[in-house]
Amino acid sequence: MSMGRFLLKRSVQGVFVVWGVVTAVFALRYVTPGNPITFVAPLDAGQELREQIARELGLNRPFYVQYFDYLVSLLQGDMGYSYIQGIEASKLIFARLPATVELAVAASVVAVVLSIPLGVVSATRRHEPADYAATSFSLVGISTPNFWLGIMLVLVLSVQFGLFPTSRRGIGLAPAIGMLVTQFDFSGLVNWLAHITLPAITLGTYFTALITRLTRSGMLDELGKPYVRASRAKGLPETLVRYKHALRNTLIPVITVLGLQLGTLIGGAVITEAVFAWPGLGTLLIDAINARDWPLIQGSLIVIGTGFVLINIFVDALYAYINPQVVH
Amino acid sequence: MAHDEGASRRTFLKAAGTAAATASVAGCTGGGGGQQTTTGTETTTTEAETETETTESGDASGEFPVTITQGQMPTTLDPQNHRSTPTDNVVLHAYEGLLGRDQKGKIVQKLATGYERQEPGRVRFQIREGVTFHNGDQLTPEDVAFSINRIVKQDVSIASPQADQLAGVTGAEVVDGQRAVDVMSDGVNPIVFSLFATYCDIMQKSWVEGRSKSEIAQQMNGTGPFKLEEYQSNVKVEFSRYEDYWREPAAVTSLTFRAAKESSTRVNQLLEGESDVIVNVPPQAISRVKNNGSTRISAAPSTRIIYNAMKYNVEPFSSPKFRRAMNHAVNLESIIENVLSGFADPTGQPTLEGFFGYNSDVNPFPHNKSKAEQLVEESGHAGASITLHTPVGRYLKDVEIAQAVANQIDQLSNVSCSVKQREFATLAGELTDGNLETSPDFYLIGWGNATFDASQTIIPLLTTDGALSSYSNEQVDQQMNQAQSQADESQRDQTLQQVNKTLHDQAPWIYLNRQYSVYGVQNRVKWQARRDERIDAYAMEPAEGQ
Repeated sequence: MSMGRFLLKRSVQGVFVVWGVVTAVFALRYVTPGNPITFVAPLDAGQELREQIARELGLNRPFYVQYFDYLVSLLQGDMGYSYIQGIEASKLIFARLPATVELAVAASVVAVVLSIPLGVVSATRRHEPADYAATSFSLVGISTPNFWLGIMLVLVLSVQFGLFPTSRRGIGLAPAIGMLVTQFDFSGLVNWLAHITLPAITLGTYFTALITRLTRSGMLDELGKPYVRASRAKGLPETLVRYKHALRNTLIPVITVLGLQLGTLIGGAVITEAVFAWPGLGTLLIDAINARDWPLIQGSLIVIGTGFVLINIFVDALYAYINPQVVH
Repeated sequence: MAHDEGASRRTFLKAAGTAAATASVAGCTGGGGGQQTTTGTETTTTEAETETETTESGDASGEFPVTITQGQMPTTLDPQNHRSTPTDNVVLHAYEGLLGRDQKGKIVQKLATGYERQEPGRVRFQIREGVTFHNGDQLTPEDVAFSINRIVKQDVSIASPQADQLAGVTGAEVVDGQRAVDVMSDGVNPIVFSLFATYCDIMQKSWVEGRSKSEIAQQMNGTGPFKLEEYQSNVKVEFSRYEDYWREPAAVTSLTFRAAKESSTRVNQLLEGESDVIVNVPPQAISRVKNNGSTRISAAPSTRIIYNAMKYNVEPFSSPKFRRAMNHAVNLESIIENVLSGFADPTGQPTLEGFFGYNSDVNPFPHNKSKAEQLVEESGHAGASITLHTPVGRYLKDVEIAQAVANQIDQLSNVSCSVKQREFATLAGELTDGNLETSPDFYLIGWGNATFDASQTIIPLLTTDGALSSYSNEQVDQQMNQAQSQADESQRDQTLQQVNKTLHDQAPWIYLNRQYSVYGVQNRVKWQARRDERIDAYAMEPAEGQ
């Protein structure tokens, strides 16, 4: 199978996954307790007003009509209107997407940049102080709750030393790069970095710890394999043995986990978003769920599901690049 | 008056109680613009007069930006298509009503310069001249009538969720040949002016009709002191001072609203100077704000009462003796002191102190464990096991209050009590589905009543047909019907006070606390918390020496 056909097959599967998400979420609204009218109408609203609002929101129609209409609208790029805000759901979701992607990617960058060297050092210097330090760090990183770490970072680095803003997103990455390119002005980028550093560290610490452990164990496993002994016996420099051969094979499970975690981050950085007042998709989704704002819930989950699918296709492509046997 | 550092809550109540007692108007007449207006037994002033005093000491020529951080961003910028206080706090800087309230809850004139009752069911508002919308167009009586009809008539523009806020109002029409609007009600509607002092923001008819629902939710064109500069949904709302405002322009030159759901995040923003005013400072963070040096606490009793409803038609709550026992079992003072750090007041009736109809002869139930046990025995429900349902995170320290209440009841020798934590959406759905059978027998809930009138708490919550009622009592129903048709203010006050006495004696609720609005404020901003939970940036000005 060629690489193109392989990716096409994955993409077609992805479409069905997204359709499945849409259908499952649509079904959920009929079994979830709580009525969106509760949030749109006042608590003491009369029955007549409730019925009027239900008609206006289209909630009085049979579920199959609503489902079919929704699918048709979705194919036309229309995710409906938020019950609570009265604004297009797609507009609300895509306004949040850049902040979400920035934070997820920044946290992943923190994780990759720190964890792979730490994991390699830990594996290659087993039972040495560097190994103990790296494993201790990963243990602490995995055990530390996000919300506590975030609050502590803010209290120490922002409130105590004033090094970073306490919260909020500041300028977006795209406008910051725009300022740099068009005006050679670094202030936008500095502002972006200042705002994203603490949330990225908070979110990235767990993944750093996780991937450090994964890299260490994978590396140890690879270094003990016959091909490594053969390479060394052939007189291959140790650097090449470790970094070209052993590390490359170690990266396959690391990439899998990284891909899955990146997908999780797109929809699930709720706690970090709350601690840093970060305007991401996670809090939008939670607020929508709490208010039973179904167009927003469905739209958010479709975007998150699509994100997962795209990341997985990308991960599959990376697999295929690192290990061409996967395609076959 | 607010609760700034150094001032105690008790001092505040003494001073504020008298002023707010006259806040609710019934069957009154109004005078001309800019003048003191006698309305029955109360005196109102235009807000223009009130604010002139404060802006004199401000620095209206210099830059004075202010950032306010709430727990939530507005759900919409359409002032007539929401029912949320955070949204009101934002949109009311660009939109205004015919009447308004000052910081103490007293009625003031805004876009109306006079108001009077023409006949039962018809009141007339004189519309202020020289008022412009932010797009430069003049305010007209047609705009006013349209705005009222947009709320109360479901076939005008939208089905507004605020229709019930203008209870009894059936429509509005322009008076021929006059700059006035008549508002029609179903019956006498004694609280009509009080309703208009709290609700009904005025929009421009042509502006609304020329836009989609989505556009109205994202743009603004009001007559208020601030005009919209930028709106990023769920991120920020930025206003600039409206220089052609019909009163003096605001001292605040630019105003930004942001939101941070986590209270610790808001507190950190305040301490670091990233925000000037933050809402809902949690009790555990009050000392941090007070001791910071550049920030302070400003608090005021709100219009929200927290209570435990007991369903009248199920055992053991069908027994008034058992219900009274539950009130005696709860040590309210202890809850207020230990759970709420003193930022709450005890209640003993559904109507809050300072509201029209409040009965000052009714006191909170004293904590008396042995009396509670005795009443339980007398009720015939000794050995009862009850479960208190509480929403999580909806009200300040709701779960902690519920746990304290349940624990204190559980300490009675003849009743056991536990807590069941509920998601608010599910609990609210059960309470509002119109079927009392689906409601929990015993639940904690809060109720805000910004009209400062007893009827707007008692009718929905404690009459037989009330949308959220857990109680039925023929005498209460009759008296409330009577109150709603009484144009005479003092008679109506007496009726409502009698109802409050009955509701204390019958104890359909465990009367808990009056919630406080607790704000963190930068010392550079001169501002005091309001009783109605609104944050009015027009009243803000630079503090002296800042």
